[in-house]
Amino acid sequence: MAENKTFYQEYEIFSKRTPSSAFQHQFSLLAPNEDMALILAQENFMRREPVADIWIVNRKNIRKMDVEEKMTLGRLDNKDYRTTKGYGYLKKKWRQYEQQILDEKEILSWGGERK
Amino acid sequence: MSEKDTVMSPEYKEALTSLLLQLADDDFLYAYRGSEWLGLAPHIEEDVASSSISQDSMGHAAMYYKLLEDLGVGSADDLAHLRPAKDRKNSILTERVNGEGYYMETPEYDWAYQVVRSYFYTQAKKVKMDSLCESSYSPIAETAVKVRMELYYHRLHWEIWFKQLLSSTDVAKKKMHDAIKLVMTDFGDVFSYGKEKQIIENSRLIESEEILKEKWKASLKPLFVALQMEVPEIPDQPTKNGRNGDHTKDLDDALLTLSEVYKLDPVAGW
Repeated sequence: MAENKTFYQEYEIFSKRTPSSAFQHQFSLLAPNEDMALILAQENFMRREPVADIWIVNRKNIRKMDVEEKMTLGRLDNKDYRTTKGYGYLKKKWRQYEQQILDEKEILSWGGERK
Repeated sequence: MSEKDTVMSPEYKEALTSLLLQLADDDFLYAYRGSEWLGLAPHIEEDVASSSISQDSMGHAAMYYKLLEDLGVGSADDLAHLRPAKDRKNSILTERVNGEGYYMETPEYDWAYQVVRSYFYTQAKKVKMDSLCESSYSPIAETAVKVRMELYYHRLHWEIWFKQLLSSTDVAKKKMHDAIKLVMTDFGDVFSYGKEKQIIENSRLIESEEILKEKWKASLKPLFVALQMEVPEIPDQPTKNGRNGDHTKDLDDALLTLSEVYKLDPVAGW
């Protein structure tokens, strides 16, 4: 395999500042293997800021999207129901029902009979 | 739109109405059958992913029903919920149940069928959208451009499932081959325009049935070659033609369920 003939490989470096924060992609570097990438990443890129953990990922192990696959990310703007703003009208509706007078017909309708 | 209204001949409007109902009813039933898989898909993340596809497809149906509303055919919600089976123009492929049983009780749905139906249907829809982008009726062309945007994901999603199950265990392969047979039995009316064939094709709203069938086969060819399979034949004569309101009992049952809430109070704003 052609890729094994190259001594240096590309590694993507992820780190987090505190044990509870999320990993973030930081940098990429060239190294002959994962362990070497780890010791190089730490002192080259994180010597001036706190770091709680580091992930090393060989770039060839990342499943990237090609141009055609990126076409699948398009989406129509008709999905308000997937966000809370899609239900903003409920407040107004609720208020309207609260203001309705409780008449006999309304109370009877709770028994399952249609209004 | 307004200039179109004044120049639209009765025949053109009839063709347009019929085609829009076919497109709308197809996506409406396809989305409904997809929604019945909620909570039942073979994998929890797949449950969400395929439900999103059903929601997208329901959104596409809503866009076509809206175009019909703009033409004065009726309100979009009424068109979706209140028309009886004999007035529906969806392909019978889209109305078929997902398998044995009712989803509220003991459903024994067939995932292979869901994958094959969805993949073949989506591929057919893509072919239609490509053609509709050149439609003589510009509101349809504009809608087709929008719908097509979401089809890239739908196609990729079902193509991956299709390819992987057919490259999997013997049991999976058998189920997939059985499903392909079942789906193709109902495929005869997918590209049919029914009784309105002549006027729809004359109106240059969309390409002919024959051209679309060829495009569908050509679009599936590379994947089938890779899988060392033959692209299945589309039946010349549909067993039932949904475009003419000829449907199975599955549609009656679906309509009863999906319109149940709407019919409680058709004027309510949900």
